[in-house]
Amino acid sequence: MTRYKRQDPEITRRKFINVAMGTTAAVGGVSLLSTLGAANPVFRLTADKMPPLEGDILVHAEESKEGRPITVADLSTQLVRAWAMGKDEDGNDVIRKGDPNNILALYRFPQGQLVAPTNLEATVDGQIVAYSDICTHAGCSVSDSDINAGQMRCPCHSGEYDPKRGAIVTGGPPPKPLAQLPIRQDGDRLVVAGFFLTPPYPYHNSEAEWNNVKQEVEEALT
Amino acid sequence: MNQWLDDRLHISRLNDKFLRKAFPVHHSFFLGEITLFSLIILILTGILLALSYEPSNSMVVNSFDPGTADAPNLVPAAYHSALKINAAPFGDMLRRIHHWTANIMVAASVIHMMRIYFTGAFKKPREINWWIGMLLLIFAALTAVTGYVLPYDNYAYNTLKVIYSIAASIPWVGEWVAQAAFAGKFPGDGVIPRVYGYHIMLLPGILLALTAAHMLIMIKQKHTQPQYAKRIAYKKIVGVPLMTQQTPIMLMLTLLFAGIIVLFSAFIPVHPVEYFGPPSTTPIDNIKPDWYLLWVFGVLAIIPGFEFNFLGGNINSEFVGAILLPTLTLGAMFAVPMLDRSRENLYYAENPTNHPVRLGIGVAFMMLLAVWSVAGYKPELISAGILTTENANTVLWIATFLVPALSYFFVQAVVRGIRALRESDARDRANFQAADD
Repeated sequence: MTRYKRQDPEITRRKFINVAMGTTAAVGGVSLLSTLGAANPVFRLTADKMPPLEGDILVHAEESKEGRPITVADLSTQLVRAWAMGKDEDGNDVIRKGDPNNILALYRFPQGQLVAPTNLEATVDGQIVAYSDICTHAGCSVSDSDINAGQMRCPCHSGEYDPKRGAIVTGGPPPKPLAQLPIRQDGDRLVVAGFFLTPPYPYHNSEAEWNNVKQEVEEALT
Repeated sequence: MNQWLDDRLHISRLNDKFLRKAFPVHHSFFLGEITLFSLIILILTGILLALSYEPSNSMVVNSFDPGTADAPNLVPAAYHSALKINAAPFGDMLRRIHHWTANIMVAASVIHMMRIYFTGAFKKPREINWWIGMLLLIFAALTAVTGYVLPYDNYAYNTLKVIYSIAASIPWVGEWVAQAAFAGKFPGDGVIPRVYGYHIMLLPGILLALTAAHMLIMIKQKHTQPQYAKRIAYKKIVGVPLMTQQTPIMLMLTLLFAGIIVLFSAFIPVHPVEYFGPPSTTPIDNIKPDWYLLWVFGVLAIIPGFEFNFLGGNINSEFVGAILLPTLTLGAMFAVPMLDRSRENLYYAENPTNHPVRLGIGVAFMMLLAVWSVAGYKPELISAGILTTENANTVLWIATFLVPALSYFFVQAVVRGIRALRESDARDRANFQAADD
């Protein structure tokens, strides 16, 4: 090696190729990253994906009677799954099952059994109550418990809820009670009286997110 | 012809370098091979299945039960194609072979890793291969999980839902990650094509690349030598060459192994898609992951519900139980070679009883996973009357700490016993020798 480093006034070929390759790699890398953005498709809020809305009627979710309106006589202390059925932009009936998290759980208890923290004003005569049927833990559909009579149990990670006490968590990992849906009776039909009282799954993480959704729905409707 | 090929491909060099590779003769060294053969069977059966599978979750009329013109019976195309595969000659069998081989591949790799751990074969210079092996285990599990989802029956649907919500539980970025990974809000229109891409392209590609690296490094570094090699020829490689001694053994093992899998598949049905039916809101009772992910499931079942806000991110029990804790567990396994401070290269597989602490920790770790897996059966334990809803979590949490600790000390006691026997043997021998003199 010489003691003096040769100062080349011009750019060497090696340096030029290195810079060119580096630039190509950087541009290529960034453009590959842009495909990641496309991995997450745009979400369009259509009528079938909206949460249950005021004025929707409740219909059976069970496959054999799907779409048939639920009457008071259909209900008991056993869980009945329901969808909300509303209208789309053209005024046709649409079952809001485009988002499977819209599934509801309905119960009818004898007078006096439903107690706080259930919001009794949002029930029918303090007897019929509607909850989101989606476990606030990992989003599975909740059933009647096969272990503890009168309780609800999520089959996925054993989350337990008490449907008589506002679906509070009585066991397992769920962080929050099931969201209650205000309902009223109209003739022999059950009608939704407003949005879920608390953020339902998957908005259970923040109140703000749920409020955004409500606002988005209201804007889409007007 | 040999000459002709050799002139072009230099087969003699290949022969010297690879085909003469010495394989140690010990049955525990076959575990890695079984894993490899499983991967090959999985790829072959997977290709055949992919030929008949329709990767789409758009709704089609169920040709087996079309319903009426007014109310056609619509099912997802992926589910429909799974029904068709089942109905095809040998189709159900193909699915069973694919399923059982996947289970056996994970089992063989877990036992393979146990062999490596307990004999110290992860030590210098083989740390890199331990880490690649860990990645292989993780990606094998991911491949299995994505494969689960593909029949898109109600079981797969509920599984996917839980996977989605686990991904979404990551603080700050969870929702975006889950939507990007599964093509939009659950269940997006493109979720099955996306998962299909993972299962047949991305993940097998990663598995093959990692397997190739794993084996090349193994050929370069050579197997750890079994203890008997030390006595036969110290610091020399002892074993039988791949060509022509090890190959017939391998072939026999492959055939035996394939035979066992086919026997399994013939008599034990797997994942009956007809029984679970198409995706619906009716939950499935006691849905569970496969045995190798049961421990994560168990943790989720016994973790108390909580959530708190940390710098704007939401930390909940799901994130802690399904992401943080498994990451720590796998991290501990990754760290294994780093805990060893020996500078020397390891030539010979070590006797586990000469390293009682390592042996004890390994057994305790496996017992921990076993306890968590048992916790996955919490509802069954409760309905069988062994535990009650009130005490189940407490009992299982106490077991989480107590059982591994007890098994550690139990192992120490057993090792001491073995050593005492060995020492008394040595004493006896010395005495006899003295008497002989």
